[in-house]
Amino acid sequence: MSLLEVNHLTQQFGGLKAVSDVSLTIEDGELIALIGPNGAGKTTLFNMLTGVNVPTSGEIKMATDKGQVLINGKRTDQVAKLGMSRTFQNIRLFAELSVLDNIKIAMTSNTRENFVETMLRLPSFYKKESAIEDEARKLLTDFQLIRYARSTAGSLPYGLQRRVEIVRALATKPRLLFLDEPAAGMNPEETADLTAVISRIQKDYGVTVVLIEHDMSLVMNLAQRIYVLDHGSLIASGTPAEIKQNPAVVAAYLGGEAVAEG
Amino acid sequence: MKFNLKANLIWLGIMVAGFVLIDAAEFTGMVNTFIENAMVTVGINIILATGLNLIIGFAGQFSLGHAGFMAIGAYATGIMTQNMATPLGFWLSVAVGVVIAIIAAIIIGVPTLRLRGDYLAIATMGAAEIIRVVINNLKITNGPAGIFNIPQFATWPVVYVIMCITTIMIANFIHSRAGRAVMSVREDEIAASAMGINTTKWKLAAFVFGAATAAIGGSLHASYLQTIAPGDFGIMNSISLLIIVVLGGTGSLTGTVVAAGVLGVIDTVLQNFGTLRMVIYALALILIMVFKPSGLLGRWELSFKRVGTSKKKEVVDQ
Amino acid sequence: MHTMMQQLINGLSLGSIYALLALGYTMVYGVIKLINFAHGDIYMLGAFWGYYVLRYWHVNFWVALLSAMVVSAFAGMLIEFLAYRPLRHSPRITALITAIGVSYLLENGMSYLYGASPRNFPQVIKQENFHIAGLTVSNIQLLILVVAIVLMVALQLIIKKTKMGKAMRAVAVDPDAAQLMGINPNHVISFTFALGSALAGAAGVLIGLYYNTIDPLMGMTPGIKAFVAAVVGGIGSIPGASVGGFLIGILETATQAVGLSAYKDAAVYVVLIVILLVLPSGIFGKRTKEKV
Repeated sequence: MSLLEVNHLTQQFGGLKAVSDVSLTIEDGELIALIGPNGAGKTTLFNMLTGVNVPTSGEIKMATDKGQVLINGKRTDQVAKLGMSRTFQNIRLFAELSVLDNIKIAMTSNTRENFVETMLRLPSFYKKESAIEDEARKLLTDFQLIRYARSTAGSLPYGLQRRVEIVRALATKPRLLFLDEPAAGMNPEETADLTAVISRIQKDYGVTVVLIEHDMSLVMNLAQRIYVLDHGSLIASGTPAEIKQNPAVVAAYLGGEAVAEG
Repeated sequence: MKFNLKANLIWLGIMVAGFVLIDAAEFTGMVNTFIENAMVTVGINIILATGLNLIIGFAGQFSLGHAGFMAIGAYATGIMTQNMATPLGFWLSVAVGVVIAIIAAIIIGVPTLRLRGDYLAIATMGAAEIIRVVINNLKITNGPAGIFNIPQFATWPVVYVIMCITTIMIANFIHSRAGRAVMSVREDEIAASAMGINTTKWKLAAFVFGAATAAIGGSLHASYLQTIAPGDFGIMNSISLLIIVVLGGTGSLTGTVVAAGVLGVIDTVLQNFGTLRMVIYALALILIMVFKPSGLLGRWELSFKRVGTSKKKEVVDQ
Repeated sequence: MHTMMQQLINGLSLGSIYALLALGYTMVYGVIKLINFAHGDIYMLGAFWGYYVLRYWHVNFWVALLSAMVVSAFAGMLIEFLAYRPLRHSPRITALITAIGVSYLLENGMSYLYGASPRNFPQVIKQENFHIAGLTVSNIQLLILVVAIVLMVALQLIIKKTKMGKAMRAVAVDPDAAQLMGINPNHVISFTFALGSALAGAAGVLIGLYYNTIDPLMGMTPGIKAFVAAVVGGIGSIPGASVGGFLIGILETATQAVGLSAYKDAAVYVVLIVILLVLPSGIFGKRTKEKV
């Protein structure tokens, strides 16, 4: 059973079909890239998969401990609790809160504190809080962010904000992680760091990763399989080598800047 | 753990010291009825405004209906202690007020908390007005005349202790998993829900919590002043509480306490100015906002923890 | 049926006052996203100006109406300049509290200067009742309705046809982009306050004539009702404010007509909440969904 199974997914905004009849599968442990020209419907697809948008038609099924679950129709937070997490194209950190609190917030649904122990500050409360604190700090340490733990998230430089957002998504303990243009606006050095981060998430944390990216060197380096979206429809899928050869993909990108790097 | 104990002991020390100070002032006769009245009003305002700050400053939900929940508590106490003029009756009435306020907050909050910003403000204001109009027209509440001769169980020590308890409860709520979830809703609802936060649930939690403390404040108000009328719980009263919250700094409990105190002092000092009093008050309000737009304390919190969960800006290591 | 029609007429005249006020709220909200809490008090200022010029200068009604509009317009611009402009880039809630402060200042300042007791508004236009098909319509009701409609049409023309109107719409959509296109937002915002306040001033004089009595706190309740009307209509929407105003006015008189006058305010708020739950941005408001 595939981790995620998407059948005939369509999203219509008024007269515009942003995503049209997309079917795809994602296997456990894969690293998949979703590419396509601007306006191809990549983010819209992400939004449907993570429950931010409700699909017009089609179905999204995810494998969980309790068997296959239909995702569409569920709220974003319910989808997140099933093990899907994401970052956003235009970074959405909890900007006024500390980096540490950003991570702790992502751990909310995996932790419990009852009302009585919270109000009375029972020893059990402090125990749980320090467990949360330790885990959050461990994650930050793991991704070289610990020195920014107490900084306000919104005050960090752009590249670091991207990284915090990825680590925050990881803190929800997802099985499936969606990254929306993680390398956007990064210089080559930052992109190299990012490549390492993503591949560690897949390998060390065992998380399946799907990423939208325009940086073809990053895509070709990382992705095991690639899906290509154009004008809302899937026009190709395959390994990086296959995609490079695919005439439909080349045609879709003709005149685009991105393919030159790949 | 060790720091927490130390910080908690410091807080306890401050609260006991405050109590002893007021008690000594009462004992030596430095506090006349007028000043005691002003101090108790400040205490009740702290109870009400910290709850409102939880909703507005921490959960980011602009509620303008706080006086409605206050009215529920006040009338629960006013009505019940008429028939049960015992301390037990009083505490029972506080509990009943809290329960009714919680139910009302759920009924109001579930549909309206979907609204955003000013729309929510105006809807909650409307809901509070509906509560007031209903009270104004019921027999049991004695209509527009209100209830008088309410037995006084809420003396200043009672108000002081309850004020400490509700403030601690709200602070404990904020510095916990629940508080972080609530603040994430304020910061970015979409990101919060993508992180598995049920935003509706946490908004409602903050709203209900705030409403419950407002009911407690209302009960104390009724029992201390011994007279209540529907007119005491109108839009202008919700706005007075909003002023305390914004003046102190939305998202700072310390600020709320300070602002309630400052406004209490201004009010007391201006008492002799007659009609000019409100003119000066209005000018002061405008000037403070123009020159200190984020409120007296912004988001700063007094904290005794070396490494606290407060958002106080620490040295950014870069 | 007969009473309903009669109440409809009464509701329309009250509603046109709310509509005139609601337009000011909606325009100001449109350009700077501020609930101008002091707007109801501008209406009070307009009424007081009308009272003074009619009573002591013995001018004719139309002069009083127009001069009240001009004076109110200046008052609105002055308030914006002194109290709101310094807070243009502050949190919106701060500006709201300042607006509440201005409202308190105007109400209490006027009470301090002129006393809080109500005074009789000079009845410069003698009331005459017309009986048409069993319905009673007074000339004052007609006057209010006609003046309100003329002003609304004029406003619509200003917003749709003039350069300043176009600039207002541009600032409402995107203040930064408007500025890049060479629009001075300060001028536009001042102009918006002037327009909205002029309408409020006119409403003040009209209500003085209708209810015969004015006092420094007269702006409080109609101010809040008019804001509710603007929200019901969809705040930021000009037609919405007019429709909302008439709706609230008619609703209020209708609840009174069926003998529930004690619940007339509650009825207004019930309708408000129901409308917002069905249409979260009001009747004419645009539903904006955040782009992810």
